[in-house]
Amino acid sequence: MNEKPISKLQEILAKGEFAVTAECGPPRGTNPDVIRKKGDVLNGYVDAVNVTDNQTAIVRMSSIAASAHLLQMGLEPVMQMVVRDRNRIALQSDIMGAYSLGIRNILCLSGDHQSFGSQPDALNVFDIDSMNLIRTVQVMRNEGKDMSGFDLNDPPAMFIGAAANPFADPFEYRVIRLAKKIDSGADFIQTQCIYNMDRFKEWMKMAREEGLTEKVHILGGVTPLKSAGMAKFMNNKVAGMDVPEAVIDRMAGVPKEKAVKEGLKICLETIAELRDIEGVHGVHIMAIEWEDIVGEIVESAGLMPRP
Amino acid sequence: MTENFKPKITLFHCINAFGDADELALNDKDACEIQTVKMACSSMVKDVFLLRAFEAGADGVVVLVCPEGQCRFLEGNIRAKKRVAWVQNLLDEIGLDGRRLSLGNMASGDNAAADQTINNLLKNLAEVGPNPAV
Amino acid sequence: MIVGEQKPIAEIKAIIAPFKKILIMGCGTCVKTCFAGGEDEVAVLASALRLACKKDGQDIKIEEITVERQCEDEFIQEGAPAVSRNEAVLSLACGAGVQALARRFVKTPALPGVNTTFIGVLEKQGVFTEECSGCGNCGLAVFGGICPVTRCAKKLLNGPCGGSQNGKCEVNPDTDCAWQLIIERLRILGQMDNLRIYIPPKNWQPSLSGGPRKMVREDHMI
Repeated sequence: MNEKPISKLQEILAKGEFAVTAECGPPRGTNPDVIRKKGDVLNGYVDAVNVTDNQTAIVRMSSIAASAHLLQMGLEPVMQMVVRDRNRIALQSDIMGAYSLGIRNILCLSGDHQSFGSQPDALNVFDIDSMNLIRTVQVMRNEGKDMSGFDLNDPPAMFIGAAANPFADPFEYRVIRLAKKIDSGADFIQTQCIYNMDRFKEWMKMAREEGLTEKVHILGGVTPLKSAGMAKFMNNKVAGMDVPEAVIDRMAGVPKEKAVKEGLKICLETIAELRDIEGVHGVHIMAIEWEDIVGEIVESAGLMPRP
Repeated sequence: MTENFKPKITLFHCINAFGDADELALNDKDACEIQTVKMACSSMVKDVFLLRAFEAGADGVVVLVCPEGQCRFLEGNIRAKKRVAWVQNLLDEIGLDGRRLSLGNMASGDNAAADQTINNLLKNLAEVGPNPAV
Repeated sequence: MIVGEQKPIAEIKAIIAPFKKILIMGCGTCVKTCFAGGEDEVAVLASALRLACKKDGQDIKIEEITVERQCEDEFIQEGAPAVSRNEAVLSLACGAGVQALARRFVKTPALPGVNTTFIGVLEKQGVFTEECSGCGNCGLAVFGGICPVTRCAKKLLNGPCGGSQNGKCEVNPDTDCAWQLIIERLRILGQMDNLRIYIPPKNWQPSLSGGPRKMVREDHMI
C-alpha cells in the first residue's frame, strides 16, 4: 500500500476534516459544456463531485466521460458505477480506463431498475452485484489482481465508496449490510438524503456499537426541499425515502414564496446536526439540477473555506 | 337486419332456478326460438359449451342462475358468472360481440326475472343482428 | 411447472392464416395446469377460431388432439396420423413442445399458440408465480429457500438494494422484495448470520448465458 494519498477526498477524510461532496448528472447529449457549467458553480465549494451513471436508467453521457471532463477543469470526481448495464468484463475494463484518465474515487452501486428509465425494454445485466464490485475494486488496489486472478500491469488504486440507506426496510438489517460493505472493501459511505434525523441517529448508534465508524467514513446525505409538494412526492413516490410528517408540515406551513427558504433552513439544520454526530465525517449534498445552491449551502453552513 | 329476424336462443339453466322450458312463461312467445340445456348447477357452463352453442347456430345465449348467496352448491353461480364474463370477452375478441351472451339471476319460479333477462338479450340482438358465423 | 399464456386470438389468427387445415395439439402436463393449452383449452380455441374464421368468410378445418406431454417423442408420435392429415400444427405446448414437434414432423410447420414464460408454482387457485430461472447452480440452502437470482429483479446475491420499501420491490408494488422474504425466513430459521456471508460473483457458465444446455445420462442409455 503506497503512503501517498489515493485521492484528495481520501486525504481530507484521513486528516479528520469534515468533507463536503456534491452531485452532478451528465447531460442527455454530448455537450461537455453542460458539465463544465455545473463544475464551475461547484468549484471551490466541494472536495469532490459525484458523477451519476445513467441515473434512474435514463440514457445519459457516460459517467466515465463526464468525470474526465470535470477532472480536466480541476475538480475531483467520484465516478459512480452501477452494475445494471455492464458485465464484469466491461466493469473491470472501465475501472482501469477511468484510473488511466486520472479518476481516483469510485462509488459502487446496484442501479435503479431499467423499468424506471428511458429504455424499459432493455435486457439488464446484474452479472455481479454492488458488493462484488466493491470487493473487485479493493482487490485491484490491494493485490493488483483482476477478477480472474491476473496480475494487472499498473493496477488501479481507487478510493472506494458505497451507498447506504438507513431508511429502507428492514431497519435492523441495514447495519448488517453496512458491515458487509465495509468488509468487502468500502472506504467511505454516502447515505440516502436525511429528513428523519431520529432514525438516522438510531442507525449511527447501531453502527458505532458494531465498531463500524472506526472502519469507514460516513458522509450524511442531504437534499434541500423546494416545496411541500416535493417533500410529499419524495416520501410517497421515491423508493427508500423517509420524509416525516413534521418536515412536510413545516414546508406546508409557510407561504409558497417562502418555501425554498424554509427548505434551505431545514437543510442547514440537518448539516449542523450531522457535524455533531460521532462517526459522521462529512456531508454529501444532492441538489440535482440545482447545483447553484450548493455554494450557498456550504457557505451558510460555515464549511468554507475548503481545505 | 331484417324485420323477420327471429333470434335463436340457447338457454342454459340450472334445475334449481327452474324446472322446464314450458314453465318459462315468456310474455311474447313468438319473439324468439328457445332451446334449453339443463344442468345440475349453473357452474357447469364450461366455456366450450357456450361457444359450441354459437357454432350450432345460436344468435344469442342466456345463462340463468340462482341469486348470489343462494346457490345450493355455494359458489356455482359465481363460477358461472366468471365463465360467462370470460366468454363475453372472447366473443368480443373474435368479432362476434359479447352482448350475444348474457347471464341473469332468478329465484326459483320467478318468471318475471327470466323474462327480463331474455328481453334484455333480445334488445341486444336487435342491435347486433344474427350470428355472422353461420 | 412451466407456465405459459395463450397468445391473443388475433395473433393466433394471423399465424394460422396461410393454412386451410390445421391441427391444434394440446399438452396434458404443464400448460394444462396453467390453463394455457390442455385439452379444455384446445377445445375452446378450436371453437373460437372456427367462429372467427367463419365470420370472416375464411375457409378452415380444425382438428383437435391432446397428448400427455409434447416434450417426449414417445407421446407426440401418437399424434402422427393427425399431423399427417393437416397442413400445419398449432401447438399449445410450451416452446420445448413446439420444437419437439418440429423435430419429429419435419415437413409440417409447427406453430406456437402459447407464450412460454417461466418455471413456477401454483401459489393459490389461479395464481402462478415465477420461482426458478434454471441458473444451473442452486444456492437455495444459503438463502433460506428463496431464490434471489429469480425473485430479486436485480439478481442481487448479497442483500437488498436501497429501493425495497414496505417489503415490496421498487419495480412493482405487488411484488415482494425477495430479500425481505429471505431476511424474514432466515430470522425464523435462526440463520441471520448467513446475511454476513460474502457471496462471490456468480458463475453463470452453467446457465443459459453459457449457451443452450444439454444433460446426458449415460447410465440411462443403452
